[in-house]
Amino acid sequence: MTDEASVRRLPSQLVGGWETGLLILLVLLYLGGAFVNPAFFGSTEAFHALLRDSSRVGIIAVGMTFVIVNKDLDLSVGSTYGLVAVVFARLFAPSFLDLGIVTSVVLCLLLGTVIGLINGVLVTILKVPAFIATLTILFIGRGFVLALTHGQSIYYPAKATEHPLFFHLGETNLLGFNNQIVIFAVVAMVGAYVLAKTRWGYETFATGGNIQAAAYAGIPTNWVRIRAYLISSLCAALAGLMSAAQDKGVTPLYGVSGELTVIAAVIIGGASILGGRGRVAGSCLGALLVVLLDKVLREGWPITRIIKIGNEEVAVNAVFSLPVGAVPVFLGLLLILAVLIEPYLIRRQVAARLWAWLRGRPPPPAYEIGGIAIESVQTKGAMTTDIALSATGLGTFLARRDALAIILTVVLWLTGLALRPDYWWNLSNSFAILLNYTELALITIGLTYVIAAGDIDLSVGAVLALAGSTAAYFLKVLGADPATAVAMGLLAGMAAGLVNAIVTVGFKLPAFIATLGMFYIARGLAAWFVAGQQLTGWPEGYNLLGRKVNDILLHYRISLPDGLLRSVAEVVSVQTIWMLLVALVAGIVLAYTPFGQKVYATGGNVRAAAYAGINTNRVRFLSLILAALCATMAGIINVAYFRSFNPVAGQFRELDAIAAVIIGGGSIFGGYGTMIGALAGAAVITLVRALLQLNVQGFAMPQHWINVFIGLILIVAVLIDIWVREVNLFGRLRAKLARRAPATDTTHA
Amino acid sequence: MLDAARPAPIVEMRGIEKAFGAVQALRNVDLVLYPGEILGLVGDNSAGKSTLMKILTGAYQRDAGQVFVAGQPVHFRSPHESRDVGIEMIYQDFALCGNMDVGQNIFLGRWPRRGFFINRRKMYAEADTVLKRLKVDVNSVFQKVESLSGGRQQSVAIARAISFEPRVVILDEPTANLSVMATERLLETMLELKKQGVAQIIISHRLIDIFAVGDRVMVLKRGENVGDRFVKDTDDREVLEIIVSGTRENAQTADEARAI
Repeated sequence: MTDEASVRRLPSQLVGGWETGLLILLVLLYLGGAFVNPAFFGSTEAFHALLRDSSRVGIIAVGMTFVIVNKDLDLSVGSTYGLVAVVFARLFAPSFLDLGIVTSVVLCLLLGTVIGLINGVLVTILKVPAFIATLTILFIGRGFVLALTHGQSIYYPAKATEHPLFFHLGETNLLGFNNQIVIFAVVAMVGAYVLAKTRWGYETFATGGNIQAAAYAGIPTNWVRIRAYLISSLCAALAGLMSAAQDKGVTPLYGVSGELTVIAAVIIGGASILGGRGRVAGSCLGALLVVLLDKVLREGWPITRIIKIGNEEVAVNAVFSLPVGAVPVFLGLLLILAVLIEPYLIRRQVAARLWAWLRGRPPPPAYEIGGIAIESVQTKGAMTTDIALSATGLGTFLARRDALAIILTVVLWLTGLALRPDYWWNLSNSFAILLNYTELALITIGLTYVIAAGDIDLSVGAVLALAGSTAAYFLKVLGADPATAVAMGLLAGMAAGLVNAIVTVGFKLPAFIATLGMFYIARGLAAWFVAGQQLTGWPEGYNLLGRKVNDILLHYRISLPDGLLRSVAEVVSVQTIWMLLVALVAGIVLAYTPFGQKVYATGGNVRAAAYAGINTNRVRFLSLILAALCATMAGIINVAYFRSFNPVAGQFRELDAIAAVIIGGGSIFGGYGTMIGALAGAAVITLVRALLQLNVQGFAMPQHWINVFIGLILIVAVLIDIWVREVNLFGRLRAKLARRAPATDTTHA
Repeated sequence: MLDAARPAPIVEMRGIEKAFGAVQALRNVDLVLYPGEILGLVGDNSAGKSTLMKILTGAYQRDAGQVFVAGQPVHFRSPHESRDVGIEMIYQDFALCGNMDVGQNIFLGRWPRRGFFINRRKMYAEADTVLKRLKVDVNSVFQKVESLSGGRQQSVAIARAISFEPRVVILDEPTANLSVMATERLLETMLELKKQGVAQIIISHRLIDIFAVGDRVMVLKRGENVGDRFVKDTDDREVLEIIVSGTRENAQTADEARAI
């Protein structure tokens, strides 16, 4: 081929080999499904349903492609989708605001814009890591959904019939297929062309490939990233409106773990979590694949079960299906595997090399991959002047990174006392707070190591639930003795930690994506274990792990004499003692031993630490394992304390724990964090929760709003960390003012 | 005559070859370094300066040739092995942990310990001694490195290097990120090290720095030796000429050039 010919035929930007492969896989999978379960997959009805349900996921995936190509992440899409549907219901439903259809739709789109803008501004201008900013927005959005629905469904079928123009969008049209498919096709076309063929798209690829080079080339990278977040949120809002049009109502469960489905779809579609790669066509096919997989898993597959009736064995056709909540296990696994595809298969050209090897040809030349390092978030804030050295007395304390947490703890406690002097000071209340504190503090201990080493663990709450449900399952279903149950709980939690550590350290993936996958896997497994069963009522011997010291002594028929010792034993729980013991050991190791210093060195500058002969992989591995171990212990204790396993155990705990570490002086960029600070941070979060639940003169804050509030606290804590501790915004302002003051003086003189 | 007065070389590299794929980065390169000598290694971009140094420290493996340290043949597989025989490299970006203080950085990865714990008293005392020996002023060993200026950070990196009691220190573009004042201070520090008998190799684009403190300057061009001069016998014009138009055929060693 001559040069001229190769120039004339430009390579396609819209589709490539990856998309072809996906399409073939999809067809094979569908045919396989039709073969195994013809009743479900064999009909055009089913195919139509697949396309219809993929439409909404696909539309969000189109928006998400822009964000991921930018090397960002938007975890808030699922909750945006749900929130828009709920807000639409609140605005439109006759039982609430009863607004007109146009007003409602416009307000919903406005809401989507605002969420996208908040995400974008947080990530770009305020420099909050994308995963932490959008995760917080996810939790806040979910809190709003619960608060606005009060956990109940809202339906408005009667009023919907008055506005056929809008609600027809969710229904089957004259040509026999659903209008949502048309909307999906239009969005996908526009998205594909914009990303592949326009300056907007080229700017997106440049920003994702090398943000510094893009900025030097005059590309407004902040605007490019904010724009992607806007597109993503608006796509989610559009999908939310489509679901409202289809269902003419909303339940609070809309969009739960929707971000998982969408991100998995985009990554399977060939986009790189490391930025700079991705095509809209691939993302759409990925969405089809994930939705198909989801349907297969939910529908189950037919099996023949042999049932004995009397002496006769009868073959009965049955359907083997997964319990509710187990599907995220597979989607989470899929996410982790899909994330590994890009760096390990595509970038290393495994397919091309294998093909060359089969034909006995030399392998194709390797890509230049030196410039793109697979590293987790390792940016450092700007330098601060070292205030601590020049400060004296009270100043020395205020310059400590954990001062904020310690002061807040005292202030919050005094606030509680002022609001309810009759109740707050009460022993029972104090120890109720202490018990809540124990669980959070235990998780925080491990997370402090992970954050100080420059990683993150988003799965701690889910690992807590996994360990608890495993222990409960062994106790109740398998009738195991307490020691076995504890061992199995530990084993399950450790296995989760091991997977986290191997994927993060061994495969060099960013910690947030590996632990995000584990977040869904562990929570799904926990739901799977308890499916359909009330896991409660087992030997009291196990429950001693969560009892007060005196109860344990009584269990072994030891009764203490009246006096101080007995009073203490009556109020102190064994888990609190255990937590303090773990905290003491972990705190000493972190502050005073070489291992602790290695953790800080790794978090501060991983390359310098490696040059100095520190095995940074080992440090990060052990930290992630420790975080899982602490969460596991908290889960085992949680089950013992409640004498049952509740599937919502540990929910939002990852949010609490990360907030606690950051408030306590940790940096989201790594290298900082102390045990005292983290414990104080955990106290702050516990007290905030306790205060919000406090009934002051007949008014109590609804439970649903509390998570919104905690999410706000996390964002504020991260912002304080970045802008006050790292950039020293106040110091700069003071310096600026000081410089201005003498200047004005001289002009007067 | 000159050779007899000179001690045995601390580092000698002979006939070093290195190729990256189809690119021949080094062709039969020789290098000699004597104790207490400051050798400037200069050349255009892609001349092979950094590659040669990385082979010396063990970061890269040579294809052919020999390396002797104090007369012993060596083959380092990693920078840690070269550190064990007293060769230290200071990287352009210093490789320090900004979140830790000066003392902790000087002893990064090998903090002195007492039992299970870090011996902080000893660590800070020794860090202070090392800094005093360098005659650099860093306010306090308790200061976080990220709050130090670029020049001070480099002082910490050098202090870290010499705390290993090295015989050879390699500085990769040490003045690239420094202010004029900081450069002055660095050059003083290098002379101080020389007084203590530490041999130094300085990779630099700034000939002026090499002429200020160097004893000898060696020029590489496209992976080959093209000349070697004593600083006393030459000037920057001649060195520039060698960098631009020197060839292997008319390359002279420092001794040959002096003999003329």
